Amino acid sequence: MKRKVLSLLLVAAMTATMLTGCGGKDSASDSGSAGDSGNAGTEAPAEGGDLTLTFLDVAPSDTRTTYYESMFQKFYEETGIQVEYQSVPWDDAADKLTVLGAANNLPDVMTTWNGWLGQFTQSGWVIPLDDYIGDTTSDYTDAVVNILFKSEQTRYGHIYTIPDGLMVKGIYVRKDWCEEAGIKLDPTKPWTYDDYFELIEKLTDPEKGRYGASYRGARGALDPLWVYLQGYTGGATFNQEGQILMNNEECLEAFVKWTDIYKNGGAPQDAINWGFTEMVDNFAGGLTGTLINDSEVAATLINSMEDSQWMVMPMPTSEKDGIIYNTINAPYAYSISGNSQNPDASWKLIEFLTSAENQAEYCQLTGEIPIKNEASGLDYYGEDGYYGVFLQQMNDPTLAVPTSFGTFDFTDLHQGLFHEEIQSYLLGDESAADALGNICTALQERMDEYMAENPDAGIETALTMN
Amino acid sequence: MNRKTKRRVTGVIRFIVLAFYFLLVVLPIYWMIVTSFKTNAEIINAQLITYWPHTFTLDNYKGLFSTIHYGTYLKNSLIVTLSTSVVVTILSIYGGYGLARFSFKGKGAAMVFFLITQMIPSILVIIPLYVVFAKMKLIDTYASLFIFYTVTNLPFCAITMRSFFERIPYALEEAAAIDGCSRAQTLWKVVLPVMFSGIVAVFVFAFIGAWNELIAGTIFLNSQKMWTIPIGLKSLVGKYNVDWGSMMAGGCLALLPTAIMFIFVQKYIVEGMTAGAVKG
Amino acid sequence: MSSKKSGSKLSLQTRRKLQPYFYIAPVMILLLLMFGYPLIKSIIMSFQDYKLSRLDKVSWNNFKNYAAMFSDKNFGLLLKNSLLYVISAVLAQFLLGLGLALTLNGKFKGRGIYQSIVFLPWAFSAFVVGLLFRWSFNGEYGVVNDVLKKLGLIDTGISWLGTPGLSLLVVIFAMIWIGIPFFGINILAALQSVPSDIYEAADMDGCGTIRKFFTLTLPYIKPTIIMTILLRTIWIFNSFDLVVIITEGGPANYSQTLPSYMYTQAFASYDFGLAGAFGVLLMVILTLYALIFLRITKYDKAGDF
Repeated sequence: MKRKVLSLLLVAAMTATMLTGCGGKDSASDSGSAGDSGNAGTEAPAEGGDLTLTFLDVAPSDTRTTYYESMFQKFYEETGIQVEYQSVPWDDAADKLTVLGAANNLPDVMTTWNGWLGQFTQSGWVIPLDDYIGDTTSDYTDAVVNILFKSEQTRYGHIYTIPDGLMVKGIYVRKDWCEEAGIKLDPTKPWTYDDYFELIEKLTDPEKGRYGASYRGARGALDPLWVYLQGYTGGATFNQEGQILMNNEECLEAFVKWTDIYKNGGAPQDAINWGFTEMVDNFAGGLTGTLINDSEVAATLINSMEDSQWMVMPMPTSEKDGIIYNTINAPYAYSISGNSQNPDASWKLIEFLTSAENQAEYCQLTGEIPIKNEASGLDYYGEDGYYGVFLQQMNDPTLAVPTSFGTFDFTDLHQGLFHEEIQSYLLGDESAADALGNICTALQERMDEYMAENPDAGIETALTMN
Repeated sequence: MNRKTKRRVTGVIRFIVLAFYFLLVVLPIYWMIVTSFKTNAEIINAQLITYWPHTFTLDNYKGLFSTIHYGTYLKNSLIVTLSTSVVVTILSIYGGYGLARFSFKGKGAAMVFFLITQMIPSILVIIPLYVVFAKMKLIDTYASLFIFYTVTNLPFCAITMRSFFERIPYALEEAAAIDGCSRAQTLWKVVLPVMFSGIVAVFVFAFIGAWNELIAGTIFLNSQKMWTIPIGLKSLVGKYNVDWGSMMAGGCLALLPTAIMFIFVQKYIVEGMTAGAVKG
Repeated sequence: MSSKKSGSKLSLQTRRKLQPYFYIAPVMILLLLMFGYPLIKSIIMSFQDYKLSRLDKVSWNNFKNYAAMFSDKNFGLLLKNSLLYVISAVLAQFLLGLGLALTLNGKFKGRGIYQSIVFLPWAFSAFVVGLLFRWSFNGEYGVVNDVLKKLGLIDTGISWLGTPGLSLLVVIFAMIWIGIPFFGINILAALQSVPSDIYEAADMDGCGTIRKFFTLTLPYIKPTIIMTILLRTIWIFNSFDLVVIITEGGPANYSQTLPSYMYTQAFASYDFGLAGAFGVLLMVILTLYALIFLRITKYDKAGDF
């Protein structure tokens, strides 16, 4: 018996090794494009032939994979260029791209999240697209040209990405809770942050297991808070001399007011360590009454909630200047890698994916807002659907997009110090003044360093649609 | 206390202890299984936590096969894991035997090196290896994971195998040597059958080590058709939410092969070795 | 075959001397090939200005990375958390694993199936266990608080993941849960190889169960226990996945450990010089631990090391 099992093991070993060998050969032949540096550029004809591009998606899902595979088939039929689809789970995407970038082995085209661009542009892992875009800017909507392109130009000196679609933020609200409490909300009318804080208070009822807000306490905790603070600084982080604008009484008061959501029980105690998952789950699961998040989340909520349960409110206006400060982003923008041997063909692929027709199909699948004028004229979402409020915000002349934390790379602060300082304050380990002060100091140090290295760099200002 | 009550008391204590371990292990697994049969709305409902599915659904399982190609991941995982564990087992038989049966110069150093390999943080290993693998065109192949998993599991398995060899009386081999067997023959024909269970144990160690590995998988593999189960599961974590139902269903299915293996091999792991030792 | 002649030139003694190396060679060569380069590279990086974003500007910076590491304001907290994490997890795993092995080391009905079930946690991936625990210990919709409330042990939910101390405890729980079977299996295997005749002799001398355990069983399984504790400590000390998945080190780094901090920081700052310094520190701590542990436990006398 024992001997039999042993010999079985051996047979298994041999089969497995053989399979491994085969697998190795198979995929080595079709994944080589990035690896054989040098010759690909000279050998491969610009058009057709056996040119194969690699494309990496950082947020694979069934819908997205199907869409891309059918697009690549169409692209092949039109141009004779083959595209190999690769993907990496979202949660590990940043790490994987880092390894690929350091090894000079990035795919030709990849989807990127704007939070990575600071690192990627600095490392030369993505290439400027300005020349490719040339004078076609008129094809893109105002939001793309005046906000996304412009902000990349001030931040990194060039345009590095073409948006896959656009998303803005809004406040998701439990419609049914409001009705029960006799609160009437009108998404077409502007409201202020104080109105929002009042709503949170009214919806909070721990006895019933209800809290007003899906408070973001973990990584990214500073993001919505910073936008709120920028309501007091005209949407900027630094003034034109490069001095941080948040270290004053007004902003400290706002900082305290915001964190009071948590301190006064508007969110469960647990929320100090909530990331996106808990925020969305708890709103959809009936624990929290409001949720500040991207328009992309609507797709999730449509699946897990009844229509009668929720609605969307625009972001509140600043108490100070009456402007809506709201971010407009591309969830997964397209970029060409620095080590691509076929940047021209890669651009062709991006052009193809973002053509009005293909992009419209994409946006319908993902619930994003189209980036081309031709496509945005088409009325997909209607005026009063969930997306109505988002579209309405984008058309609002009083909307301004605040600056980022700075023109320098702040990824490590974003993944550490920012939320750790806020958490320390919430836990009572330090005062609000210290928490905000430490954040400001860290940002100011970065800015000083950056300005010393780049004396000619421009300073970001808030951007508007026009 | 007479013998009978004493035995009864021991019986009761043993039952309590057994129940404790059983509950400790089973409760989280129960929660996972039950969740995998719930609808998404029921899973995230904060107001009412249900201990049995209100609406029983198989959608999570169906989804795994229709939308995320679980079958492909399963196949990939099996290929990589089985080849790894077989090769690791064979290599550790040799290595373990060498360590157990000879005393030689550098043996202590070899053991120290084995231990050091376990101390290097994995990201400091994976990044340089990625560069090497890319040069060798091994990225996105089974071979990359096979090599990585073999090497990472070898030190522990060789050390374990060594301790198994050490429990087998040397007299057994000497007897065989007198019968005219060469050392290699003795190893395969006389020693190995006796320590069959040890071999099974090492095989299982390597299997589990490779089966659940995630980071190297995400770094070394590019195309979805090459993904292993852990990567497939990881892709259920989105930017905004975790697909809990599918995640739990996928977790259950990922566990199934190992659970079945346990049922078949557990008796070898614990019983076989005793027999071997006593017989020798 | 062709080398038969030259082979015979080697004296029998030399051949006998070389023999062990033939057995060890395949394993050693593989390990040296795969770990040698990364190991040396990490040590070199730790003395360099090594940023992934500036690979063209790598330069020596002496001990700057080490200085940065030790002056990090979180360093003390990280070290404390790491020690707490590894000591409590290893100790609990060992004791519970030993208990499990002793219970299983006897015949009872259904032992086979029982054994397969209690070994199961070991077959889980850390990622799935991490998610399961993060979700079960959620303060509001987690099942743990619900069960505790139903049992009447608490009135209001405990904020497991939002409270300093408790969040690390959840990570430790998860680690213990995964690791008990590993100890259980190893110790059980060792127990089964204890020759039964030594117990017979002890029985005749009228030894009690507890005394038998300490004077007979324990010395016999000591080498296994030492090796298992040693390896497990190394693994747990170096593991970061549970921390990253369950708490991301939060709140405010109260559950952050050295490796998880290194992992997060390495990818956030691209500073692999600093990551290398952390890596070297981890290896030094673990090597010292291994040497001291082996000395104290006199492993070199128990087995020959």
